[in-house]
Amino acid sequence: MALVGPSGAGKSTLLGLVNGSVPPTAGTVEVLGTDPTTLRGRSQRELRARVGTVHQHLELVGQLRVVHNVNAGRLSHWPAWRAAWSLVRPQGLPEVLAALEQVGLADRVFERTERLSGGQRQRVALARLLVKQPELVLADEPASALDPVLAERALALLAGLAADRGGALVASLHDPALALRHCTRVVGLVEGRVVLDAPAAALTVGDLADFYGAPR
Amino acid sequence: MTVVLDRPQAPPRLNRVRRRWAWGLGALAVLGWSLAGAGAFAGDVVNPAGAGQFGRFASAALSPALDGEFLRVLADSVLVTVAYAALGAALAVLLGAVGAVAVARTTWGRRRLGWTLSRGALAVPRGLHEAVWGLLLVNLLGLDPWVGVLAIGVPYGAVTAKVFADLLDEVPRGGYEALLAGGAGRVPAALYGLLPPASGGLLSYSFYRLECAVRSAVVLGLIGAGGLGYQLLLSFSSLRWEQVWSCVYALALLCLLADVGGRAVRRRVAAPRSSGDRLRRDPMLSTAVLGTLAAIVWAWWYLAISPATLVADRTGEQLRYVLSAAWPPDVDGPLLSAVAVAAVDTLQMSVIAIAVATAGAVLLAGVAAHPPRDAPVLRRVTGSAVRLALLLLRAVPPPVWALVLLFVLLPGVLPGALALGVYTLGVLGRLAAEATEELDPRPRAALTAMGARPVGGWLYGVLPAATGPVLAFALYRWEVAIRDTVLVGLLGAGGLGALLASRVSAFDWGAVTTVLVAVIALTAAVDLVSARARAALR
Amino acid sequence: MSSRRAVRSGGFGEHALSRRSLLAGSAAVLAAGLAACGRDSPVSSSGGSAGSSSGTRGSLTIGAIPDQDPEVLQRLFGTLADSMSEALDLDVTYQPVTDYGAAVSLFRTGDLDLVWFGGLTGVQARLQTLGAEPVAQRDIDESFTSVFIVNADTGLTPADDLTPLADLRFTYGSETSTSGRLMPAYFLSEQAVDPEGFPAGPGFSGSHDATISLVASGSYQAGVLNEQVWAARLEDGTVDPAAVVQYARTPEYHDYHWLAGPQAVERLGADLPDRLLEYFTGLPAGDEVLELFGAGAFIPTEAANYDQIEAVGRDLGLIS
Repeated sequence: MALVGPSGAGKSTLLGLVNGSVPPTAGTVEVLGTDPTTLRGRSQRELRARVGTVHQHLELVGQLRVVHNVNAGRLSHWPAWRAAWSLVRPQGLPEVLAALEQVGLADRVFERTERLSGGQRQRVALARLLVKQPELVLADEPASALDPVLAERALALLAGLAADRGGALVASLHDPALALRHCTRVVGLVEGRVVLDAPAAALTVGDLADFYGAPR
Repeated sequence: MTVVLDRPQAPPRLNRVRRRWAWGLGALAVLGWSLAGAGAFAGDVVNPAGAGQFGRFASAALSPALDGEFLRVLADSVLVTVAYAALGAALAVLLGAVGAVAVARTTWGRRRLGWTLSRGALAVPRGLHEAVWGLLLVNLLGLDPWVGVLAIGVPYGAVTAKVFADLLDEVPRGGYEALLAGGAGRVPAALYGLLPPASGGLLSYSFYRLECAVRSAVVLGLIGAGGLGYQLLLSFSSLRWEQVWSCVYALALLCLLADVGGRAVRRRVAAPRSSGDRLRRDPMLSTAVLGTLAAIVWAWWYLAISPATLVADRTGEQLRYVLSAAWPPDVDGPLLSAVAVAAVDTLQMSVIAIAVATAGAVLLAGVAAHPPRDAPVLRRVTGSAVRLALLLLRAVPPPVWALVLLFVLLPGVLPGALALGVYTLGVLGRLAAEATEELDPRPRAALTAMGARPVGGWLYGVLPAATGPVLAFALYRWEVAIRDTVLVGLLGAGGLGALLASRVSAFDWGAVTTVLVAVIALTAAVDLVSARARAALR
Repeated sequence: MSSRRAVRSGGFGEHALSRRSLLAGSAAVLAAGLAACGRDSPVSSSGGSAGSSSGTRGSLTIGAIPDQDPEVLQRLFGTLADSMSEALDLDVTYQPVTDYGAAVSLFRTGDLDLVWFGGLTGVQARLQTLGAEPVAQRDIDESFTSVFIVNADTGLTPADDLTPLADLRFTYGSETSTSGRLMPAYFLSEQAVDPEGFPAGPGFSGSHDATISLVASGSYQAGVLNEQVWAARLEDGTVDPAAVVQYARTPEYHDYHWLAGPQAVERLGADLPDRLLEYFTGLPAGDEVLELFGAGAFIPTEAANYDQIEAVGRDLGLIS
């Protein structure tokens, strides 16, 4: 599913409501069959472990090596001692390498993340989701810093990741073409309200361009 | 894309950064050596029988002396302390401004030798603790308020000169060089091209010095310069813990006011309000600057400082007396070996102290940082409690900690080291908390949203980013700790401080010179090592 | 510019307003310097040298080494200062000092005219200050003693033999205290105990009270202090007799005495030492001052009484 809408429409807020980082001021949210606001502690973490979010690479810790930033996707599964030990001897290296391979960064696995470019960091953030294996994939502008070829591949990866676990991908996107190619459903937001909800097949690139109000 | 994927892949290897590992292992080795030297592995270090005495000190915290007579005395001494701090900091900024010109790279240009020598000259006033300056000045000036002012102003002035010079040197040169190229003289070019971009940093550092001066003014009570520290020492030497705590609370309050005020000013300097098209000054900054100037003028009046004292015949006579007794330094064998032993003790004490403080600061930084507005009540309460505890740790002067810890620990280097450690923890904990507050909160929030446990979120989201600044602060405080060991040197803790006190009390000025040279050399050496280590951290 | 504004808006109106014309052109600091004239500093009584505040009467600043509870010292010397002012027709003020060394230095610089020194500090001060004269001592100072105390857990019973102390963790009082350091060290070495020996070296607790506390806590197993202070603490019940006990008493020695400085003599007349001695020895039995000093009377003293202290001090490296 693609989320489209002008800046400030509420796309990021909606994703935040779903992953539980933004508490709702009114109404209820249902995620994978439960209301995240009613959960606390362990059950809250268990639900969150099934949801994976990728931001615009802002969630990475620059001082950590790439391998640790990728492994951070598994913190919901790991006991604390293993998380700590992994900072000394990286754990689960094969999975990390496989994930990085998929985004084309396997050779930078021990690089410090702050040395990477914006596009490379965005791909590290994708790799983090790949090792996490969530059922529900939330993506906030996952392709914004990537060149067209990489953007295409990134979305394919995300969609495939969600499909593997029988779940869904919710991505906020600026590029109408990408939205139509990789999503089956398009939801448009303006000032926090849903103004468009249609199957991708019923829409054209021109329709979406009009929606952004920008000539194309 | 295929280009990326088909790149020939060497099997990735985990390359540790050698330099950092060398520093880390070196630090561990030095810590182990220090602990062994302090007898921490030798078994008996704790004296459980003294718990009662320690308890008496601790429980007095709940019943500070509050009788009217004592509070009146306390209020007077608070005024004296504030006056010392204001004048001392003012003198430091004045000396710093003049000194900065003398030691800036900008002044010396390519003449490296001159620059190195002028920098080296600063190490002398900087290497001696304020209390040592006080002790020496009392011998020159007697019980004059100048003692307190100069004892703060001179060493602080040297530090300030170095920092001011660095700030000026770090300003981008483009504007300044364009003005020079345009035919402006060096001074006007500096005024227009260097000073304005550096002014924020200069102002904010000046206020930071004022905060520090409050604590130093208290330490000067040690040498009878008056004020809150003097009052604290009077109560302390007769072990009236209730009064000691009253003094500590008064001091904590002063520190808190200075911290809060100084921080507000520094924040405002860092993020100025836009003034639009009118020439308008920030009212808050103007108030702070004018208020400080007014405080300086008041302090001058209140302490009844007379510049005549400094140029009086008697002062010159005393200076000649002490200098002639102090030169040449004493270099006989037994003294030199005593200095060497004491220097090792001092080093070990400072290393243990800084290790204790760093470990504590790293653990407490997260809790001590101001939580976001919507944090749970429990989190906010524990945060305030930890911040208060840190404030008290740094408000109780190290000599008091040393005696109190000696009730529950057997004599040796360890009680002194721990005394210094808890005091430094008070300072370092606050710095670490501030560093944590300034971190980007998003990485940790993202980890939490993905279901990470709090410990995991802290390990991956906070620790890696906070380690650098906290270690840099710790290394900086190490140099300060070396100087502070002078304060806890007595009571069998040994070190250069004990040796210095013993030689001063015997009026053996030749030996005093030797010990002072050793203190300065050790401080300079630690400064050098700490600067190298900080460079490796970056 | 901003400093001028600070003065106008600053909080010390009267001084600034009365000198507005001056302030208009000069720096604020200079103005404050003028304002400061005629004010006594809260941190120094500026007795002898400044002396402009008093009228025709001469002034005398007295001091004491901080060898015990400073509040007691304040009461004691405050009372003495009042009594002396009246008897000698002088402005006598008491200036407390927090450090033994500072007391000596301030005596040398002339900030303190008449100081109640301990045996060692008196010798140090006299050797540094040409023309300083010992004036008087208490009757009890002729035959002063210290006591060695031990923690009860050591199981030691009172004895005259000091050698068992050599194997205990031991603390002196202040480093330059005659009764808490110097003379005990001398008597220890008389019995072939190294006064700088002891396991891990001797400690310096800083005060007689701290010595009692540290020995009671067991951190130090033994210590030594002024017998007067010990007796007083026993009497007022601050000592726990189950935790700390007296082990031995030292032989007698000379200790405290009054030392008058040359600058006061120059200022107030060559007969000043005689007038002071007359005052001290003339105090009637039962006088409040004598009570507070714990003395039956003051008696004359002379430099030769302290030759032994000087010799021991040189041995220990406390006099150079």
